[in-house]
Amino acid sequence: MANAILADAADLVAPKPRGGWVDVVVTFSRRRPLGAIGAVIVVIMIAVALTARLIAPYDPLAIDFGAMLAAPSAAHWLGTDAFGRDVLSRIIYGSETALIVGFTAAFVGASAGVVLGVGSAYFGGKIDLVVQRIMDIFISFPLIILALAMVAILGNNLPNLITAITIPMIPRCALVIRSSALSVREMPYVDAARAAGFSHIRIILRHMLPNVMAPYLIMLTAFLGQAILLEASLSFLGLGVQEPTPAWGLMLSGAAVEFAERAPWMAIFPGIAISLAVFAFNLFGDSLRDALDPKLRSL
Amino acid sequence: MWRFILKRFLLMIPTLLGVALVIFLLLRVIPGDVVEAKYMSGEGHGLSAQVIAEERAKLGLDKPVWHQFGIWVWGLLHLDLGVSMWTGSPITEEIELRFALSLQVALMATVFATILAIPLGVISALKQDTWVDYAVRVFSIAGLAMPSFWLGILMILCFLIFFHWVPPMIYTPFWVDPWQNMVQLIWPALAVGYRYSAVATRMTRSSMLEVLREDYIRTAHAKGLWLKLILVRHALKNAMLPVITVIGLEFAFLLGGLVVTEQVFNLNGLGLLFVQAIARRDYTLTQALVLLVASAFIFVNFVMDVMYAWIDPRIRFR
Repeated sequence: MANAILADAADLVAPKPRGGWVDVVVTFSRRRPLGAIGAVIVVIMIAVALTARLIAPYDPLAIDFGAMLAAPSAAHWLGTDAFGRDVLSRIIYGSETALIVGFTAAFVGASAGVVLGVGSAYFGGKIDLVVQRIMDIFISFPLIILALAMVAILGNNLPNLITAITIPMIPRCALVIRSSALSVREMPYVDAARAAGFSHIRIILRHMLPNVMAPYLIMLTAFLGQAILLEASLSFLGLGVQEPTPAWGLMLSGAAVEFAERAPWMAIFPGIAISLAVFAFNLFGDSLRDALDPKLRSL
Repeated sequence: MWRFILKRFLLMIPTLLGVALVIFLLLRVIPGDVVEAKYMSGEGHGLSAQVIAEERAKLGLDKPVWHQFGIWVWGLLHLDLGVSMWTGSPITEEIELRFALSLQVALMATVFATILAIPLGVISALKQDTWVDYAVRVFSIAGLAMPSFWLGILMILCFLIFFHWVPPMIYTPFWVDPWQNMVQLIWPALAVGYRYSAVATRMTRSSMLEVLREDYIRTAHAKGLWLKLILVRHALKNAMLPVITVIGLEFAFLLGGLVVTEQVFNLNGLGLLFVQAIARRDYTLTQALVLLVASAFIFVNFVMDVMYAWIDPRIRFR
């Protein structure tokens, strides 16, 4: 946590006009305007998802055959779909689905990856070799193909969909974390902790984990976008979220393509929602990476 | 060097075997099998248990799992992928035509991505933190954010609305009618190529940034070398390796990972075949497809490792 120490040292020297985290936010947005834009979009999206019930103009499931395929108008800002459901309301409610899937899958995937990566690096030797080979095997599967197979095994309800998206992420995170954990393991303080007779668990949790937080956070934000994309792809194929649940990928499939010429808004707006969400997470994640660990690349 | 190559080559074998084992077991865990998928759904529901047992025996599904695995791996060692459980025709035949299509799209996307990515990445790195850099970064992050299948839908939409035209939906092999073939396949290649180029642009940028800070670049500047020469001969050459790696890996994944985009353009490629094979519980076909894509990926990895070792002797002796 060299950053924290540096920040503390800076605090001692500089006059301190504001509270700690406000300072951090201000400095971050001044140095990395792109990242700040991304963060703002993410915050707006979370707010929209949380208040979906209040701000959505219509019930996302309400079928209205009188307004089938209606063009965008004052009544329906983004038009309606083949069942007369309001596209804007469905997008607003869809953000809930996307964020739940995104956050859960990214958090669980990155956390499991961190445990595997740090454990593998800490114990080294045979354990490391075996864990690495197993990770190699799972990385050799394309993301979408592994997710497809998992969905086929588990069946598709929301928790299973999240599991299917999480599993392919674990080895990718473990690989990156392992390489930073390897250098942490060589640090004198880890030797010292071992000499002091601390248990393996304690050394891993108290001494190694805090020092791989930077790559962990970076992987987490990268996975957020990927999880949302993967969910959209699976739902588009009909293997993810099922009708009538509002989900962005699902809104693009079926009728959206069929009626593309008559009702292009059905295909355009949900896609913009997906792209904007992933774009914001990536923008923020990129700047976070630059701020925390400029040497780390990939993904 | 030869020892390193041999060692690295042998390391591929356990990974490949592992992939084979994982996909084999995964498929057996999926509820239902090909016989059920074929006869128990819809019309032929009333089939007697005896007929079903006979069908299973015919496909070898009645044998113990480890026995089935043994038979499959034994076949693989003889370069025999077996027959599709659904259609009964040899898997090489099933894959052949689709492979040509997927390979062509993947190749075209690679060419497009490379042509776009390398100049953009280099410019972005040279002009770090200027508006040019920001523009390139936003452009490439947007490429990562837009689902390629949606990009495909947008393309079709534009053609429909502005030109009242749709790309041909029926596949024409390149050697039959190159023009017809290109007109159909260029769009999916562009749709996936944008994302692909974004990955490569970002890698080029970060790799260039790293190299530009090296001492030998400063030395080259100090001795007054022409800027273009420094860039091409010293910087780019050393920065290219990670870029080639991501391009290679993405290419391997594109072969089988086009699943969703193929759906949009109604292409009958490996991705669609894969979705079908899983839905039909066609074990042998799914196994073959996964193994194909995974071995492409593992092989690219192997070649990259050898190239790294060739360029940087320290790796060889680690």
